[in-house]
Amino acid sequence: MAGVSTAGSKSGISYDARGLVEPDAEAPHNSEIDGQKARFEATDLTTRQINKELRRLVYEEGITDVTIVNPGSKHSLAVGILKRCNITFEGSPGWFACGLIDGPTVHIDGRVGWSAGENMMSGSVVIERGAGSLTGAAIRGGDLVIKGDVGARTGIDQKGGTIIVMGSVGINTGFMMQRGRQIICGDAGDGLGDSMYDGKLYVGGTVASLGIDCVPGEWDDSDTEFIERKFANYGLGSPPEFQKFVCGKQLHNYDSLEPSERKLVI
Amino acid sequence: MATSDTGTRTVSIDAEQLAGKRFDYQSDMSLVENIDLDALTPGDDINWLEDVELLVEDGIPAVFDRYSNSFIKIYFEIPKGRENELARKVLMKHLTDGNSYGITLKDIHCKFPQVELGPWVAESKTVGTDWKPPVLEGWDAPASH
Repeated sequence: MAGVSTAGSKSGISYDARGLVEPDAEAPHNSEIDGQKARFEATDLTTRQINKELRRLVYEEGITDVTIVNPGSKHSLAVGILKRCNITFEGSPGWFACGLIDGPTVHIDGRVGWSAGENMMSGSVVIERGAGSLTGAAIRGGDLVIKGDVGARTGIDQKGGTIIVMGSVGINTGFMMQRGRQIICGDAGDGLGDSMYDGKLYVGGTVASLGIDCVPGEWDDSDTEFIERKFANYGLGSPPEFQKFVCGKQLHNYDSLEPSERKLVI
Repeated sequence: MATSDTGTRTVSIDAEQLAGKRFDYQSDMSLVENIDLDALTPGDDINWLEDVELLVEDGIPAVFDRYSNSFIKIYFEIPKGRENELARKVLMKHLTDGNSYGITLKDIHCKFPQVELGPWVAESKTVGTDWKPPVLEGWDAPASH
């Protein structure tokens, strides 16, 4: 294959030095399949091979429970899976893990890099440790649970769904958030909810500073029911006491949007 | 901007216009009453449907179908207090029956394998396994390509 080299690669993985994908990659068929469950080792596989194997199992073999062992922080794993199934990572994927998914229940026994669960449509992703910046960017639906801390701009451009962070979050969390909910058990960095249009932010710790047009919100019974339900669903124990923050409606709001723009966020 | 059968102009995309017909469940609540929203969604609650609410389009109650970017209008009387529940049930009936315009396009146009009826139907067939790029008749790729 033109442009492909294995020079200097200890693992023997072929890659394209220009940064292109491997157009001729095939699923490695290295899974151990036991009924509806499958498990495969990813150490010596490229990103594309891992995703090819996962898709083969889910779509062609009808497997409903897949475990990926040693993902090795490779990027863009388990992206675009549009089916109800269980996916487990034993180890840490890299950037953009589980983006664009619609339906899967994902458990990551490790940490993740930037943008985990970005543009997620439905399903749930539970990350046992920490996550990088832009976690849940533009998420539209489903639940994204991070048991450690996360970086900056969590849920940037969020259009729905729920992000739960058991630790603390960095700066500009909820930046330009348009719908959905974030439950942050720890502290929040500067600029929380900056330029948000709508949605709800719950913070259990301290907030370094609020962003433009993010204001304290009034608590009601639906907030309590929602938080208690989510904590029970994911076995997160007793929720701490939260402060609620919403959009002050002084900067952006739906009333000033054209109908076609409004549809982009519903 | 589209023009409806009655000649009125609207900025919306309407599920009926896309399908060319009105569906029975838009007018008959009994056809959606038995929909189990928990069973149709991942996890222990209604998951992504938490964000689906009853809206109003062209002055008529409607639910938005994000898979076809269109509104499904609801013509039956909605009991007070059940607005969002029934909106979600109408949407799920529309999707699980394969009536969403986005679903009807999948078999022809999707470029990678996926389930035709989406993640809410367990035994839905897989489509998109044999997509081929369309060929424009009479056109040849430039020599440099």
